[in-house]
Amino acid sequence: MLITLKDVYKIYSEGLESEVRALDGVSLTIERGEFVAVVGQSGSGKSTMMNVLGCLDIPTHGDYLLDGVDVKELTDRELSHIRNKQIGFIFQQYNLIQSLNVVENVELPLIYQGIGAEKRRELAMAALERVGLLGRERHKPTEMSGGQQQRVAIARAIATHPPIIMADEPTGALDSHTGHDVLRFLQELNRDGSTIILITHDNGIAATARRCVRLADGKIVEDAPQEVDWL
Amino acid sequence: MNIQQAVKMALKSITGNKGRSILTMLGIIIGIASVMTIVSVINGSNQQTLKQMEAMGTNRVNVSASRYDGKNVFDDLYTYCNGLGSDLVLGVTPNSQFSATVVYGAKNSASMEKNQNYGPASGGDSSADSTATQDMPPTLYFGSDQYAACNNFKIAKGRDITQTDIKRYAQVCVLGARAAKIFFNYADPVGQVMQVNGLPITVVGVYAEKDPDSQWSMDNIIVYPYTASRYLAAGTQMTEFTVKASSADATTEVISRVTGYLGGLISNQNGYFSVYSDNENQQSMNQYATQMSLILGGIAAISLLVGGIGIMNIMLVTVTERTREIGIRRAIGAERRSIVTQFLIEAAMLCGIGGLIGILVGTVGSLIAGRALLKMTVWPSLSITICAFLLSVVLGILFGIYPAAKASKLQPVEALRAE
Repeated sequence: MLITLKDVYKIYSEGLESEVRALDGVSLTIERGEFVAVVGQSGSGKSTMMNVLGCLDIPTHGDYLLDGVDVKELTDRELSHIRNKQIGFIFQQYNLIQSLNVVENVELPLIYQGIGAEKRRELAMAALERVGLLGRERHKPTEMSGGQQQRVAIARAIATHPPIIMADEPTGALDSHTGHDVLRFLQELNRDGSTIILITHDNGIAATARRCVRLADGKIVEDAPQEVDWL
Repeated sequence: MNIQQAVKMALKSITGNKGRSILTMLGIIIGIASVMTIVSVINGSNQQTLKQMEAMGTNRVNVSASRYDGKNVFDDLYTYCNGLGSDLVLGVTPNSQFSATVVYGAKNSASMEKNQNYGPASGGDSSADSTATQDMPPTLYFGSDQYAACNNFKIAKGRDITQTDIKRYAQVCVLGARAAKIFFNYADPVGQVMQVNGLPITVVGVYAEKDPDSQWSMDNIIVYPYTASRYLAAGTQMTEFTVKASSADATTEVISRVTGYLGGLISNQNGYFSVYSDNENQQSMNQYATQMSLILGGIAAISLLVGGIGIMNIMLVTVTERTREIGIRRAIGAERRSIVTQFLIEAAMLCGIGGLIGILVGTVGSLIAGRALLKMTVWPSLSITICAFLLSVVLGILFGIYPAAKASKLQPVEALRAE
């Protein structure tokens, strides 16, 4: 089992009157190679879910086992290494560093792996080729369209060949056409063996995944495989 | 992440916001430049003082002795000191100035008096000083045959005053290099006869030039055998003497011996005397210079501190501005340590570059200040330059620690949420 959530709670201001249960006893398992969509309205806890699954945040209660390792027991440094090697993040707002050019952005996770300059450039260029951005590597993010920027972000996420890709509303800032391209690319990655976790509020987008986990008020209300809308 | 990448990253961030980087560096630039200038000028001035002291000679014991009955104590002192042996005393001489009119050909010391405003040659260009209008009258001394030994002179031409000259009241004199130039220009003065208060005095020798640059007046002297005072300056009692000790250690010994000896010759009833070392003078001058450098250095250090706080301020602003960037870096795998390294290196480089500019400005400042204050070319020493650079980098690291720590403590989730 790749991911196991056991009765996970994420509670803000616990014990106070203003207590918020962003995750309210969530249990979930995800196997290697799955394509899971986590769907919910805003405030349903899906972003918290993504933060917990992505090792950006630690659950208040309950266990999160990633590849058999209890995340609670890990140091900040070890969590950094997991984010670096196991997970590729794709964000709604792309989250590229504006002062760096395209290839430097893609190289960033490789830098933190301590990979040498030559090998780094090679891997980054391969990732850029995969998303169809060869020839644009010297451009600054601000000189590119939203769709192109998201492709840079995808290239950054896949440059380290992580087993898990987490996409948080990856099409949220894109028009339907470029959004379509991004989703198709995620399906392609999944077919190549990556585990994809797609966070969205949009049922249509969720339909591109093979399994749909629906969240409401921090609880899982539906978890079922579904007919895939292959793009 | 290794240092090389961190340096590249920092450089990018610094050059990416040039205006702000330069404004931030300004404090460090001014601080380093003023430290460099102050230290260089103080060093230059110390060197100058040292050079003067060396020219004058070290380990000199100044003796002031006088008897109310007018009896001259020098002959006794001379005999006593020379009896102490050369491992203690290298020489003893009167150090008495007197005034007289010295004439040779058209040159007359009396007519030189009008041009007393003349100062040391500017720019050390001594070739322009030979015109008559710029001549200063020479200082006239009575000395023993050991005058040169006591005052660090060496004979360049002819011979020095001898014991025979002194015994025979010889009408001879030795010229300092500058006095020779004033009266004889480039002709050989040895064997020429000058008129001193109307008496013919033969030049028997010329001393070598001591210091061609700043202390030119040391060379503008004429020395006569002290026994010539009988006819050149009748009635004057010689009261100032110089004993040259052989070493700094010997100086103490000589002072106590001479004090003891003079105590036997002169009592409170029939006169007074004092014996003191030039070394003490020199020490107190050195102490004064050290104090000055501490005070000025302290002021410069405060300006550096202010510069460093400026760096810290801007780095804190940078951290706030780049919260989202920090969040992104953390999300894709940067350890806390990498974030700390990144911001520390950025601060260190900001200060290092500021330091380099400061060193440039400080070098120019040292040259200008040296010219204006000391009339000499003051280059900052290599050690000062290296220290200044290291200091600026250390300041950067020191004042970068807090902002860097703050940046690394940001939680990835919260940092990513920042706008």
